[in-house]
Amino acid sequence: MSSSYDVLGLFDNDYDENGFRTCSVTGLDLHRTAENHVKLFGLTAVIALLIGGIFAFTVAMTRWEVVGLLEPADFYIHLSLHAWNLLIFWMVFMEIAILYVGGPMILGRRLPITGVAKAGWLTMVVGALTINVSIFLTSPPDTAPLLTAYAPLQSPPAFYAGVILFIVGAVIAALPFFLTLWRERREHPGRSLPLVAFGAFVTSIIAVEALVGGLITFVVTFLWRIDVIAWMDAAWYRQMYWTIGHGSQQINLAAMVTVWYFLTHVVGGAEVISEKVSRTAFVLYLFFINLGAAHHLMSDPAVSVGWRIFNTSYAFYGAAFASMIHAFAIPAGLEAGRRKRGMGGGTFGWLTNAPWSNPVFSSTIFSIILFGFLGGITGVVMGQMQVNMTWHNTFATVGHFHGTVAVGTTLAFMGLVFFVIRTMFQRQLAFDRLGTLQPFFYAGAMGIAVIMMMYAGILYGVPRRTAEVVQNIPGTEFSLSAASPLFAIFGVFAILAILAGAIFLVVAVASLLVGDRVTSPEDNADLVADGGSPDGGKPVHAFEMRGTFLVCLLFMAVFVVSYVLNWYLLTELWSVGL
Amino acid sequence: MSSPLDTPDDDWWDQAINRRESIWLGLAGAWSIIIFGWMSAFTRIGDQNPIGETLRVEASEYQDKMQSYKEAAGEQDGALVPPDTDVYIAAFRFNWDGTPVVLETGTEYDFHLSSYDVQHGFSIRPEDALSKQMNFQVLPGYEWILPMEFDDPGTYHVICNEYCGNGHRTMHGTVEVVESL
Repeated sequence: MSSSYDVLGLFDNDYDENGFRTCSVTGLDLHRTAENHVKLFGLTAVIALLIGGIFAFTVAMTRWEVVGLLEPADFYIHLSLHAWNLLIFWMVFMEIAILYVGGPMILGRRLPITGVAKAGWLTMVVGALTINVSIFLTSPPDTAPLLTAYAPLQSPPAFYAGVILFIVGAVIAALPFFLTLWRERREHPGRSLPLVAFGAFVTSIIAVEALVGGLITFVVTFLWRIDVIAWMDAAWYRQMYWTIGHGSQQINLAAMVTVWYFLTHVVGGAEVISEKVSRTAFVLYLFFINLGAAHHLMSDPAVSVGWRIFNTSYAFYGAAFASMIHAFAIPAGLEAGRRKRGMGGGTFGWLTNAPWSNPVFSSTIFSIILFGFLGGITGVVMGQMQVNMTWHNTFATVGHFHGTVAVGTTLAFMGLVFFVIRTMFQRQLAFDRLGTLQPFFYAGAMGIAVIMMMYAGILYGVPRRTAEVVQNIPGTEFSLSAASPLFAIFGVFAILAILAGAIFLVVAVASLLVGDRVTSPEDNADLVADGGSPDGGKPVHAFEMRGTFLVCLLFMAVFVVSYVLNWYLLTELWSVGL
Repeated sequence: MSSPLDTPDDDWWDQAINRRESIWLGLAGAWSIIIFGWMSAFTRIGDQNPIGETLRVEASEYQDKMQSYKEAAGEQDGALVPPDTDVYIAAFRFNWDGTPVVLETGTEYDFHLSSYDVQHGFSIRPEDALSKQMNFQVLPGYEWILPMEFDDPGTYHVICNEYCGNGHRTMHGTVEVVESL
């Protein structure tokens, strides 16, 4: 039944008298409440992606100083808008949608307390709008907050209020998910959750830790900003801020890994090669991943050596170990699952014959590879306390987190959006050729832009967050102009990556507006994993995984080489420290 | 089929693990321990550690320290020459107080880093080798005393790499390192 407000017909799927329908691709029983709210949060996320993407262009074209698009004051405002819309709004709206997929949809339940879900959405939207408007209107003596709003720099009071609203909204929006799991456990006390639901559950706990930390931080900072309290300490702020600043990125990580398990299974035929190992890895995330917030405080004066080493290593690399587990388990699940379906062949046949023309599949695979090689390795290397001195606040850190959230999370979420358009909005992709090419284009262009950022930071010491220093540092002859050639490559590939992002938006929006409707299961048959029906005799862990093993050995080799090179560069420096 | 969308079989904990996955777990676990061990050991055996004493200090207090330091310091071509091995640097919007300063190679100096106003980033590199750079956070309210000993003479450039306002990009100072003073 559709609403009269739904003029575009985006919320009008047919459900049975209990409000359920069966998805022809996943076989899941979807309830109207769950599906409509996934759509609502997903659409909102895409709007944030559009806004943030526009500012990606102006920011990149300022950093490429040959173009030098913006004046410094405007640059910092644009950079703030870029960060908040992409790193926070696009991600968190998607993640709430992912919780509703991982909870109610996977478990075949309705979404409870939908009024609360809508209230959460509304609060998040009001928070996001407040943040955007207040950043846009920033004027002296206030400064643009960037992502971090590092006190004692002051941003507009409305900005802090907006952040508090957004965080509260996200917590509210997560409540229906928790209630779903509560009810599931009450009804089936002895039953293990499906892996994707388990991953979503771990994600939600990591999220609440981050959000509560953020709430404390921003309530105190807001009170300081409106002069209710006089006290503010820069080191306290940094340590507290990063509970949400980095914690929110760990939500992205856990949600993305959950999406990897989900999409490689649905469109590629992947299976879980070991529930024990994969779940253990999620539990390691639960305990240790949020310690990674300490990565930002490695070159700080106010935290002790023991604190830094324990936390930056996620307690002896518990969470890095967990990521390396997923790095094997997910591709190996694809390899063994496809071999089981008769889609093997040699060492890499399972991969080369995979449905690469399906953008849901290709974006997921590129996300896995690029996140690991670009984002993951650099994250651990720069998180080593001493190496951090050579990375801290350089453009290389920007390269690192575009390796994680741009070519990693954003790419996976783009694949998920395409999947939701096909299976929930029930639309064929408009411009489907363009859709097929999009993940290749985005992964390639953004991947190169990311590598250029890293080189500029590490090899030329180019700082992050600055409107100008490569061609010219006002007031001195000195500059970092030796890095100019790298910025030329960076600039070109940044434009291409933004173009690829624009193509994603065009395909997604056009599909929603003018895409052919999916009217029968055959229309979406190409989304279902190819190959024969799985051979029931042999368990999946008994299938060959040598292709994945070789890729993982290559990954380890790159990891070791990056590690050694970074340490070598460090030991070439003059001596510093006790 | 072991689908991540379905409730797993009751005996999921007891399912065997593929040999290659077990080997990978061993490799990943060993690597985790190695890099933890190296980072930890390097604090004892290494020459580059972001470790120093930290004092709480009010901005006005630090300004007083800077004043006494400057009064005791010598002067060479318009640059400060520290009276002993303590070198005071203060970041403020938008400059580096205490620069330019002249130091010599082979002497271990104690760099005192603090800020008069907001957060800044102390980012230093020699003019002729941009890849040799190191970066430290500078916080108001904290005085970080970091020992440093330069090997090579030359002009070292300090820029700010923490956003501190619209003039952020103009923050620049120099440390002149000579063979001997």
